[in-house]
Amino acid sequence: MKTRRVVADLFVAAVLIVGFGALAQPSFAQDASTNPRSFPETKVVIGLEGFKPHAKGTLSAENGELVFKKGKKKVEIPAASITDVLTGKDSERAIGGTVGTMTMFAPYGSGRFLSLFRNKVDTLSVEWADKSGGVHGAVFTMGQGTSWSAKGALLAQGAKTTVPLEKEIEEQTQPKGKKQ
Amino acid sequence: MNSTRYSRMLVALAAACLLWGSAASAQDQPAAKAKASSIQIAMVQSDEVKLPIEFQLALYENLVEQIQKTNKFQHVYRDGDKDAASAPDLVVLHSNVYGFKKGSEEKRQVTTVAGKTEIKVHVQATDKDGKAVVSQDVQGQVRFIGGNLRATLDFAKKVAQVLVNNFQ
Repeated sequence: MKTRRVVADLFVAAVLIVGFGALAQPSFAQDASTNPRSFPETKVVIGLEGFKPHAKGTLSAENGELVFKKGKKKVEIPAASITDVLTGKDSERAIGGTVGTMTMFAPYGSGRFLSLFRNKVDTLSVEWADKSGGVHGAVFTMGQGTSWSAKGALLAQGAKTTVPLEKEIEEQTQPKGKKQ
Repeated sequence: MNSTRYSRMLVALAAACLLWGSAASAQDQPAAKAKASSIQIAMVQSDEVKLPIEFQLALYENLVEQIQKTNKFQHVYRDGDKDAASAPDLVVLHSNVYGFKKGSEEKRQVTTVAGKTEIKVHVQATDKDGKAVVSQDVQGQVRFIGGNLRATLDFAKKVAQVLVNNFQ
């Protein structure tokens, strides 16, 4: 009798967990679709004062600014001061950071095997001028297929670019052999 | 007669040795170091090769950071900074990329010998009159550990060292 009760309790718990998971999934998707100007899981590669390289945060384009936020730390760049926004494609190790470096020395070539696992990412390069005219540059990496939306959002806020978004999309979607 | 000729030859040889020695010692002496209290870092150019924008920006940002770290200059101005115009003894650092090979981090890690990323840059520091104070080729590369952009950090560190060696 007791066993039956335990099994039933476990079943209920499993259903609840699955249910929560299913509920959580659409709500996250809704977040991303209702706020196309916010890009979580964006990494700073270089160039953002106050943030170490590879800091992960949320990049957003709103109120005429590019905002990068991680916890309480925040950097705001007026979109009007952005002179260029360019996108690109790259890949990064699936296991990054110090752990990723350590795995390279793992025995029996397992480290080399692990380094075959890579994630495709988009790059977003931003160039802007500060109040005294000094040029700054920052490079971000973000989820595959999100850099075009980020560029679009920044342009909508007043940023400038040397390569129109349509042209970049055309260039990047061309098969490799056709690239000039 | 023969001994006179022999002694003349010895004297000539000794004189030649002395001259060569003094010339060599003059070359060994370190060149006088230039003096500048401020430096302005011009945006990295790539007239000869197509350089991806992320590499251009990373080269520039790493240069600014590494040169600031040397504490050799009171002010490190960025490209376009209006305040640089009033700096008394300013030098401007120009960098022109003439060679670029984008390697592959994956290849580097799997093979440990292939996939090197390499950037070749001509670096020139000029004074207010446009006279070159430093003019040198510097290479940045990543052979094993790190992403491709790490080559830009390697380059910037070497340039910072060049400036340390050439400025008071």
